Amino acid sequence: MNNNNNNNNNMMDIEPDGASTSVSSAGSDESPMAMSKAAQTKIPDTVRYDALNPAATEKRYYDLEAWLSKLSMGTPLAESEVKALCEMAREVLLNESNVQPVPAPVTVCGDIHGQWHDLMEIFRIGGSAPDTNYLFMGDYVDRGYYSVETVSMVVTLKVRYPDRVFLLRGNHESRQITQVYGFYDECVRKYGSANVWKMFTDLFDYLPLTALVENSIFCPHGGLSPSIDTLDHVRQLDRVQEVPHEGPMCDLVWSDPDDRSGWGINPRGAGFTFGKDISEKFNERNGLSLVSRAHQLVMDGYNWSHDQQVVTIFSAPNYCYRCGNQAAIMEVDESLQRTFLQFDPAPRRGEAHSGKKMPDYFL
Amino acid sequence: MDEAPMDVDPVDDGPRHMTAPLPMTPTPATAPADNMSKEEEARHSIEMLRGDDVSARVAAASRLESIASVLGEERTRQELLPFITDGADDEDEVLLAIAGSLGKLVRHVGGNDHAHNLLPPLELLLSVEEASVREAAFASMKTVSESLPENTFRDQYEKVLSRLAKSEWFTARMSSAGLICSAYPRFTSEQQKVHLSLFTGLCQDDTPMARRVAAQNLGEMIRNVVESNGRETLALDGIITTSLIPLYEELASNDQPDSVRLQTTHNCVIFGHAMGTLAKTGPLQANETALIQRLVPLIMATIDDRSWRVRWTAASKFAEVIGGFDALPSVMDSLIPAYEKLLQDPEAEVRTAATFNLAAVAKNCTTPVPVPPIGRMPTEEEMVNYQGERVSAAERLVKRVTSLTEDDSEHVRAALAMVATELAPILGKDATIIHLVPPILLLLRDAASEVRLNLISSLGALNEVIGVDLLSQSLLPAILDLAQDGKWRIRLAILQHMPLLAKQLGRDFFTEKLSSICVGWLGDDIASIRAAAANNLAELTKLFGTDWACEYLIPSVDDIRLHPSYLRRLTAVQACSKMAMEMDPGMASIEILPIILEMATDTVPNIRFNVAKELGKLSKVFDQNIFDQQIYPILTLLMDDPDRDVQFFAKKASKRTE
Repeated sequence: MNNNNNNNNNMMDIEPDGASTSVSSAGSDESPMAMSKAAQTKIPDTVRYDALNPAATEKRYYDLEAWLSKLSMGTPLAESEVKALCEMAREVLLNESNVQPVPAPVTVCGDIHGQWHDLMEIFRIGGSAPDTNYLFMGDYVDRGYYSVETVSMVVTLKVRYPDRVFLLRGNHESRQITQVYGFYDECVRKYGSANVWKMFTDLFDYLPLTALVENSIFCPHGGLSPSIDTLDHVRQLDRVQEVPHEGPMCDLVWSDPDDRSGWGINPRGAGFTFGKDISEKFNERNGLSLVSRAHQLVMDGYNWSHDQQVVTIFSAPNYCYRCGNQAAIMEVDESLQRTFLQFDPAPRRGEAHSGKKMPDYFL
Repeated sequence: MDEAPMDVDPVDDGPRHMTAPLPMTPTPATAPADNMSKEEEARHSIEMLRGDDVSARVAAASRLESIASVLGEERTRQELLPFITDGADDEDEVLLAIAGSLGKLVRHVGGNDHAHNLLPPLELLLSVEEASVREAAFASMKTVSESLPENTFRDQYEKVLSRLAKSEWFTARMSSAGLICSAYPRFTSEQQKVHLSLFTGLCQDDTPMARRVAAQNLGEMIRNVVESNGRETLALDGIITTSLIPLYEELASNDQPDSVRLQTTHNCVIFGHAMGTLAKTGPLQANETALIQRLVPLIMATIDDRSWRVRWTAASKFAEVIGGFDALPSVMDSLIPAYEKLLQDPEAEVRTAATFNLAAVAKNCTTPVPVPPIGRMPTEEEMVNYQGERVSAAERLVKRVTSLTEDDSEHVRAALAMVATELAPILGKDATIIHLVPPILLLLRDAASEVRLNLISSLGALNEVIGVDLLSQSLLPAILDLAQDGKWRIRLAILQHMPLLAKQLGRDFFTEKLSSICVGWLGDDIASIRAAAANNLAELTKLFGTDWACEYLIPSVDDIRLHPSYLRRLTAVQACSKMAMEMDPGMASIEILPIILEMATDTVPNIRFNVAKELGKLSKVFDQNIFDQQIYPILTLLMDDPDRDVQFFAKKASKRTE
């Protein structure tokens, strides 16, 4: 748990060419971009929870508590519950900024990727919400087998405790990427249709792109963009849309820091790589002490780069159940002191391998 | 930097994949509306049973009882059961539900006199390929057979079993072995002869699958034969001696697949028990002891079996073997050395299983055993005619403990650490101090933290025999070491043992050596440890009393209140509240309540709403006066807090108190 000064030699790319993968499955005749326009339509007024109506507030509270206890057991919500949840969440997220201010103290987490058991481990290690404040820097879905449970959990926490839990958008919170890396298939498998996938991916358009802890730590999911010099540039983006293939919004969720200075071509096929000079200039210009980002697998769970101008935090231990990496979270206390907590996959009790038994002739 | 692309979909990672939460059951098709009458529900179920939707058929099949009760007895017999018999080629899931339901239908087909109507569909289900369906059908068949009156049992039921046993399909023959075995006592003596020969046939079946099931039931079969045909079956020309014991030998032989040989140990246990029961009714005859002597080599053979699965089964059941043969003279002279051999098996899994049985073997063996020659296994000759000194099995086995502490496998040592102390009550005080304490001290210094932890968890047994004073000097470094282990779950486990250790070590020792680390855990990096540490302080307060807590715990907790991190301060709030609940209320209101109340003005909202939460819980501990004057004003203040979560929890806390 020491702050080591490695450069990013032990970083690995997560999706070598994720963004350029074309979407072929999922049988939608709309292009991803067309779908994002549909998502921008107005919120129907009929389903709004009325803040002034005590009975509605009461129901909202009991629903959320019931969902949280269900989800903490690993039981997915019913489709109708996801619908109600996403409607509430959209209202909460709509009020947040592209550069969402987050007060310290807060515990910052990186990619989770559907590893629900390890999300529970984060709460065991960092403390449960709302006692501990959390900032999740995106990539809740895909890769792991429990994307539905994971994203439902963090979104429910956000709605129940909007001042204690903050969520950002990652490059996987996108219609296009989720159709390739598992969330779409998982939704269809668990709910029998793509409805839940549609509800969540529509909600993802509203997630803030970045957070700013006490005007000092800037948190995008991926990194910096050549089209963004100041935080105000981020604030001016129209974020409620599918993540585009290029441009500042794409860069914020796709870029990676690099040893080479200046801007470089990102081998992933989306976003850029940025050098130490870029980070230094950006931090100085915006009065920041640190860029804290996720997006890349780092074997120790966290990794300093650019002379401690940039830190990568990755919170999915043994990523894809095979990478053997440690995970980490970063506790930022009220005086902005930073502590990294590393952790391994949560031990799991012996579980049955399969519902079907082996045929007798194999015994 | 350029890593190869990762697999997009790691589906071959089996266990994780299968444990995904179950898909939602599509409710509209299967769940009848609440307001439906029973009859409507049953009619609805019949429709579903005929329908195309598999999940609907499964749901309906599990509700056969309610369908039958609506149809009435006669229509159930004449319509429902034939319908089910016809549909026996359905999906496995449906068949499984049907197989399970049929056993509950006896009452609905017209009681015991008509129960035989259930036999045809069950007979079909007992032959299907899917093992889980056969298992469910097997259970139902046994239930049904128990309710059959003698005449149908000896007629229709007997015929079903004969057909199954002679069936062309090995699945049917597999099902028949167990059924014949349990039906045997109720057959006429003629039928018994027929079925015994059917059973022997199954033991010699061409397919190893059928032989395996027959082998599983062989021990039970012998017991049934002895019980229903009397002791003469054990005579030199008795059926057991002439045909069943040879089967034991045949099924244990090396030509059989290991799945068949696996059953030997279990069968020998049952036979041992059966003979032990006989020995109680009258001394064993020479021919009977000769039979036992014939079985002992079979058990011995499992110890040396080439398949580690067979040896593992023997190792994990060895306490039962000892228990089964304990009543018989001189058998232990060879079984205990055999067990010692398992403890030295080349496979770590076998050694682990054997080690788990160490205390149970020592306990189950009541006859004294020879003292082994030092440093080597005894020769066969020495074992057969042993005339020398004898000791209890525990005394002999305790000598093995030392060498097991040096085992290469961490699992073996962990198993040893779990059971070793249980030898203490069997050995008695003196032998424990001489023989058991030295290896236990070695285990306390083991390299693996699990080993040390297991030992500390099982100290209770030792404590009762010799007290822990002798150990305390070695115990302390082990505990302190575990308390700082790199794995947080190890720290958590030792932390959770603290109340127990406190009880065993006594107040003075604990206060001097361990109370400071208990407080230290409040500052652990891991939230679960901090929370457990708060609980632990409450437990210790309960154990050692209010004054002790005020003197040794509260000052340190009070320090944490000023810690720069809100997460540590949060622990202070929780620890204070939990301790207050275990303390004398008067003292708590002076010593603890002020600490909590002061934290209501913390700059971090999380601390403030936790103060509110805890005050809500504490309102029941303190009297009205203290509540009105000290707690309520603070709650009122918190209800007007700028943070909405603080407001929420303060309102909730004040509501609880009204």
